[in-house]
Amino acid sequence: MTRILLRNKLDDCIAAWQKAGFSVFAPVRQHEMSSFGEVQKASDMAFDLVLPERTIKDHFFPQTEPLIKYKIGKQQIDSETMTPPDRKRVFFGVRPCDASGLAIDDPLFGWDYKDDYWFRRRDNSVIVTIVCTEADDFCMCTSVKLSPESDKGADVMLRPLANGAGWQVEAVSERGTALLETIPSLLQENSEPTAPVPQVAEKFDLEKVMEWLASKENFESQFWKDISLRCVGCGSCTFLCPTCHCFDIQDEGDTYAGIRRKNWDSCSFSLFTMHTSGHNPRNTQSTRWRQRIMHKFNYYRGKFGVNSCSGCGRCTRQCPVDMGITETLQAISNLPR
Amino acid sequence: MIYSPFPMRVVSKRAEAPGVNTLKLEFVKEEDHEFFKQNYKTGMFGLYGIFGEGESTFCVASPETRKDYIECTFRQSGRVTSTLANVDAGDIVTFRGPYGNRFPIEQFEGKNLLFIAGGIALPPTRSVIWSCLDQREKYKDVTIVYGARTVADLVYKDELDEWKKRDDVRLVLTVDPGGETPDWQDHVGFVPTVLEQAAPSPENTIAVLCGPPIMIKFTLVALQKLGFTAENVYTTLENRMKCGVGKCGRCNVGSVYICKEGPVFTAAEVQAMPQADL
Repeated sequence: MTRILLRNKLDDCIAAWQKAGFSVFAPVRQHEMSSFGEVQKASDMAFDLVLPERTIKDHFFPQTEPLIKYKIGKQQIDSETMTPPDRKRVFFGVRPCDASGLAIDDPLFGWDYKDDYWFRRRDNSVIVTIVCTEADDFCMCTSVKLSPESDKGADVMLRPLANGAGWQVEAVSERGTALLETIPSLLQENSEPTAPVPQVAEKFDLEKVMEWLASKENFESQFWKDISLRCVGCGSCTFLCPTCHCFDIQDEGDTYAGIRRKNWDSCSFSLFTMHTSGHNPRNTQSTRWRQRIMHKFNYYRGKFGVNSCSGCGRCTRQCPVDMGITETLQAISNLPR
Repeated sequence: MIYSPFPMRVVSKRAEAPGVNTLKLEFVKEEDHEFFKQNYKTGMFGLYGIFGEGESTFCVASPETRKDYIECTFRQSGRVTSTLANVDAGDIVTFRGPYGNRFPIEQFEGKNLLFIAGGIALPPTRSVIWSCLDQREKYKDVTIVYGARTVADLVYKDELDEWKKRDDVRLVLTVDPGGETPDWQDHVGFVPTVLEQAAPSPENTIAVLCGPPIMIKFTLVALQKLGFTAENVYTTLENRMKCGVGKCGRCNVGSVYICKEGPVFTAAEVQAMPQADL
């Protein structure tokens, strides 16, 4: 016997969480685009998505984050450090790949110098994932050794019931257990079978890819030029990536007042690494694409023991020129050796 | 909070060369100063800023033996440096740091020291030089080879005079051909050539080399000819940075983050990096 949450109890569930002090976020359709947004009732949620177009990352590492508010006076400059809103949040209906993305980024924001902006949000959030019942041609979690039912980064994991009436519920962290304690009367014992997990074919041989990337002579291979010719350097793949974490720090304001902000940046942009002198270590699209792949599947692993990719496939799904990580890694995997 | 800088008061501004200034900064808050005193070691860097313009990364040019203040020397080139160049004594700027690793000068004890710098790269070298000269008894022979494009481009002219007068320092000064003035009495020639002529012994010697990439490239060849091994040559790298603490993702050369694992490396470590990413 396991516990289930029925779909028709979802409104009560949201209300119970709100009563317990949580704001509830779930996949929603807004402005012709799907993303995570705050919901008040079950009907606000978009359940039919394989994956929202934008990632959950937006709510932990927002596109723009105010760091310091400053005022420039005649006699002095006043500045005030800004902190993210201190509110408890439940993220409901997160896909396992998005939840994994958060777990993948934790060590980066935590090594040595702790990024308070990231961790304050992480510490106040509970992640409720829903195991996938559908995958599309771009899904590639299995290729990076994750799966549609991975519990990485999750606090509570829901498995859809085969009859569509609700979800089997399982707490996979202490935080998850605590969240379920706020809704005891809404859960019931049941042994209803769960829906089958989709088969996601492995699209490349990750071991082979990592081995090729680790080989020094391949750093200057013609391969990088050939594979990245189509890239227009728009940065979409980095912004839609659940693990891409690069940022810029900019002062925005007028002569007398403004805000220092941490804004999303992208390794696809030439200005990203441009020195004031004009020297640019990564001055072509191919060297920037190489950086992106090497960072995700070689450098990051060397530092934190994990690849910086959770296999959501957004980089390929939403690329305006039909490129993406999958194609590159497939090509590497298929190189003669 | 991370990314929150220390307010710093400008004590003085000194013009070094055309477009190059040194700011001497003191801490506004005692707790910030305490933090700096406990953590600063020669070779580390900081992000110097001014609200409304942003932050720029450069080394701490003052030595670890003098921690009552911070000196930074920079060329006026972008938005932040142009604003910093126009501050006056008493103005408030910001400092974030000290970040990165350091020159392991306690490992240099009992050895000869050879400092080689080109142009605006004397500031990071000067931090190590004074850190060692302030405890002169710990080190053997000290040689400083410094060159700039022209006589006007030499920085820290007062200190060059001071080093020249000391009998426990050998100073070799040079300017590029064409950069000399009628009354110039030191060398004329590029740093690698002048270094080879000066021929410091590699025996029990540590070299600290800072300069523009092209100078580093040819000076390393000269050092090799003189018999120096890459393990005994130290240098400091720079790349564009925003966070300074290993998160913003841009300063890496291959897998090496300049801000965290550097900026100080041995020439052997630099040679192990993918050269196409430098």
